[in-house]
Amino acid sequence: MRKTLLGLLGTAALLLGLAAPALAYEPVNIVHTEKVQAGPYNLTVGFSTWPVKAMQSLDFTFAPEDGIADKKGKLTMFYGQEEVDDSPLARHPRKREVWGLDIHAMPAQGTWTFRFDIDGPAGPATGELKNLQVMDQPGPPMGLSWAISTIPLFGLIAFIVIAWRRTRPANR
Amino acid sequence: MDITAVAPSTRTVPKGLVPAGLVLGGTLLSLVGLTWDIQWHSDVGPDTFFTLPHLFLYAGSAVSGLASLVVVLMTTADTKRAKDVDPIVGGRAVGVFGRTFAAPVGYLISGTGAALFLVYGLWDQWWHGLYGFDAVIDSPPHIGLLLSISITMVGAVMVFAVAREQRWGVYGVIAASAALLVFSMVTSLGLRAVPAAFANPVSVGTAFFSVMILFTAAHALNRRGGALAVGVSVAVLQAVFWWFSPWAAKVYADATGLPLRDYADGIPGLPNMIPMCLVFVAVAVELLHRLPVWIPGAVGGAVIAALVPVQRVLVHGGSFPVNARYLTTIVLAAAFGALAAMLGRRFGHMLRHLAPAKENSHA
Repeated sequence: MRKTLLGLLGTAALLLGLAAPALAYEPVNIVHTEKVQAGPYNLTVGFSTWPVKAMQSLDFTFAPEDGIADKKGKLTMFYGQEEVDDSPLARHPRKREVWGLDIHAMPAQGTWTFRFDIDGPAGPATGELKNLQVMDQPGPPMGLSWAISTIPLFGLIAFIVIAWRRTRPANR
Repeated sequence: MDITAVAPSTRTVPKGLVPAGLVLGGTLLSLVGLTWDIQWHSDVGPDTFFTLPHLFLYAGSAVSGLASLVVVLMTTADTKRAKDVDPIVGGRAVGVFGRTFAAPVGYLISGTGAALFLVYGLWDQWWHGLYGFDAVIDSPPHIGLLLSISITMVGAVMVFAVAREQRWGVYGVIAASAALLVFSMVTSLGLRAVPAAFANPVSVGTAFFSVMILFTAAHALNRRGGALAVGVSVAVLQAVFWWFSPWAAKVYADATGLPLRDYADGIPGLPNMIPMCLVFVAVAVELLHRLPVWIPGAVGGAVIAALVPVQRVLVHGGSFPVNARYLTTIVLAAAFGALAAMLGRRFGHMLRHLAPAKENSHA
């Protein structure tokens, strides 16, 4: 019993020891920026990968020139002309001095617009990042990815069909 | 020394209970990991391969998989030595890779699910390398992982169904079915990939899996109260996770020095995917047991789909439009609910065939 406990503790220590370096959360590395003028507010939009590709997640940062301390805001996303999402501007979880979106993926390829409604000491104002081009998704076509990923489901269905045939009421 | 004198006071664990308990325990670890992970992403955010919720998910499949592997190897060894194999442990043994292995069919399924989890873990790693560490629950590899765990959970239902003549078998079928039902609410999110502008495929899927698993368990146990017991167990899991998920996310965030997101609403993610009306649907299934199964199935499916947006409004606030899409979803859910009830009844009978119980001794 003692040996088993020691073995389990050793395994846990080894696992956590090896895991420790991987627990460090990656910093937000901005590789591209765009400027947005929202009335009196000068906003810098940062991207952690560029160009942006559909379904590929990245960090977005939204940094007003004189900080976010006394401001509030809302981000509205448009795909073409269609409003897709709106949410309050929140601090980036790994870069708390600016607003942002962490590991966020744009769902579809095409032209996107980010509209920023900002309210601060100089009053409310609106600015837009227009013509954000999101490229085609990387990797295999989604049909192939779904086909690979649903093999367990079809395997289970095949098993059920076999079991069904072998347990027909007439066979009892 | 007279060793027989102590024998009567020695309590033995029923044969088959330990490995079945380990498989069920593994699936519950997976379930805890999943609800914690979903909450972590909505309330806190930052992700790595080795977050604690992820470790729960990996450990769950590892425990279930290793328990299944040990049973298969022991059964294989017994078969090679021409020893009798007791089918109370996972059901009748079937040959795998010719006759290289002899695997009780329940453990074959639970172990296959765990092995698939490993394969889909690699597929998921490759995906994250290409698409980034996207916290998208319904990405194709995540659905592959969820389906793999679901297969282990189906195996868990099977290994307990074999022992349904015993009390631990009955309780095990109820607990394993409840775990599978709760887990299927997340797997159903994969249906968002189905292009259906005229109806909500996730609501239909939620209704289908709920009704099917309720009927499967009820008919496997073949006793009054089976569906209600699963419904109540699901409600208990929902209540416990409703408290646990936001609490665990906050405690883990505090422990790792990470702040909660601005505007995090703290609404439990996974528990809120479970229909709160399920226990009433289970009562209806019990009360309508004399009718053809498709009738309570259709009623249950329609009620679940009709109340999905009502639950959303209750929890999140706002409103929902009673439009053609909503009505089409209810009609489709009724049709799929009827089908699910018929399938569930048949699956219940199939589970009874696994068992070495008295009434099937001639099977």
